[in-house]
Amino acid sequence: MSKRYLILADGSIFEGEGFGSRATTFGHIVFNTAMTGYQEIITNQIYHNQIIVFGAPTIGAGGINHDAYESIMPTAKGVIVRDVAEVSTNRQKRMNLNEYLDYHNIPGIAGLDTRALIRHLRKTGPQKASIVDFPDEHAFDQLNATVLTNQQVAAVATPRAYPNPGTGSTVVVIDFGLKHGILRQLSQRDADVTVLPYKTDAEAVLSLDPDGVIFSTGPGDPRDLPASVIELMRELQTRVPLLGIGLGHEIFALANNAQLIQLPFEHHGTNHPVKEVITNAVLYVPQGAGYAIDPASINHDQLIVTHLDLIDDSIQGLRHRDYPAFSVAFFPDSAPGPLEGTTVIDEFFDMMETKDRF
Amino acid sequence: MTKEIIDAMAMQRALTRITYEIIERNRGINELVLVGIKTRGVYLARRIAERLQQLENTTIPVGELDISWYRDDADINDREKINLGVDVTNKRVVLVDDVLYTGRTIRAAMDAIMDNGRPASINLAVLVDRGHRELPIRADFVGKNIPTAQNERIRVNVEEIDGIDEVSIG
Repeated sequence: MSKRYLILADGSIFEGEGFGSRATTFGHIVFNTAMTGYQEIITNQIYHNQIIVFGAPTIGAGGINHDAYESIMPTAKGVIVRDVAEVSTNRQKRMNLNEYLDYHNIPGIAGLDTRALIRHLRKTGPQKASIVDFPDEHAFDQLNATVLTNQQVAAVATPRAYPNPGTGSTVVVIDFGLKHGILRQLSQRDADVTVLPYKTDAEAVLSLDPDGVIFSTGPGDPRDLPASVIELMRELQTRVPLLGIGLGHEIFALANNAQLIQLPFEHHGTNHPVKEVITNAVLYVPQGAGYAIDPASINHDQLIVTHLDLIDDSIQGLRHRDYPAFSVAFFPDSAPGPLEGTTVIDEFFDMMETKDRF
Repeated sequence: MTKEIIDAMAMQRALTRITYEIIERNRGINELVLVGIKTRGVYLARRIAERLQQLENTTIPVGELDISWYRDDADINDREKINLGVDVTNKRVVLVDDVLYTGRTIRAAMDAIMDNGRPASINLAVLVDRGHRELPIRADFVGKNIPTAQNERIRVNVEEIDGIDEVSIG
């Protein structure tokens, strides 16, 4: 291992030991407070073009396993940890984190004071960062000159339709860079799933005669997506039971005339307490969001706020007043994370079961 | 042998969904009145009212209805007008019961409500629809459709009086 550096657009430099790939990369920096589930996090496509800082002290103790992938090809740009486990004893382990990152050309830095870094990021907010061999003026010039794409979804979402067959309810998933966890939840409930590209039109969706439609998670700012996505949501929510997750939740809000605000620092972790308004129940859920819905922008004749974050009161769930359509900002597939949020998927199936009554 | 078919979580979820459906169907909660059929329907109605209160910050009146005197096997001359405890005239009434079976209870309940005033509409919410209707009645909001045989028994337990939320079949 040799010294490598994380440099931030605000001029800060953090030094540590390199692991994984030796590549020099650029990305948005985000921190994640999850204690476990690093494999699911690194392979989640919401981290496309992002450098992930883990707050938990040791990462990698479970190695890389066959059952914890959230995508086929991870597209994160870096992994920053306090300590990378050299020994992983999980019997399902296929390789260790170091080998995995090297294989996928993702650089890592260990031995870095992640607590100081996270405190810094909480103050300074989202910004560009780079993992480099030497933090000189040239490296900062490169970082400042780098323009990161705002078309992240186009880079990670499926370009063509594919099936994930089952024998139960027919579900169409509109893919914005989905987590495999969503498909696993649908498989567990034996749904007959077709995943469609996000540039699909409503007619193509309805021609499959779905019992329900899911707008998936995905990376980036939904306002950078083509306007057709908003139109698709507006059309489908009046026609078929609908669930938006993550990016899909933000699209649901935008389609119903609410506005987005950028969070002062992103929410990434597996233990965020969220209140279900209707029952006052508290759920602990995994989150991964850079945006929230502006509460002042909500038309209460159109939308009901169903879930609130107990830490910062941000809106975590919405439901349409007139149609069986709802959305959650958090990840109800709970991969990784506590399983409580999966009741949202059950609610979606209940909704599909009863749709013919209306 | 009895078998649990709806557990506490699923019952909560069903009531939550019914609450949202009531809002959807009525385009809001204006002039809404819930009427629970004794015994367990009353508790279910109260829980729906609590949910509406949480969501909309509005108290929805909950009436209680004992239909004994309105049963079609009771003598109509013995019938006493029931006091629901709520005004139903020009209201949108949602009747709430635990199990929908023959439909006779619901017919009696509608008679009892009509004797109290002239509602704008009556909808029916039930936790379980077990089939075997003997009258042309259907529910607008259903927690779960459970196909049953005539000789099976559906038992709904609610925490308030039974100590547990559960639906079982036996």
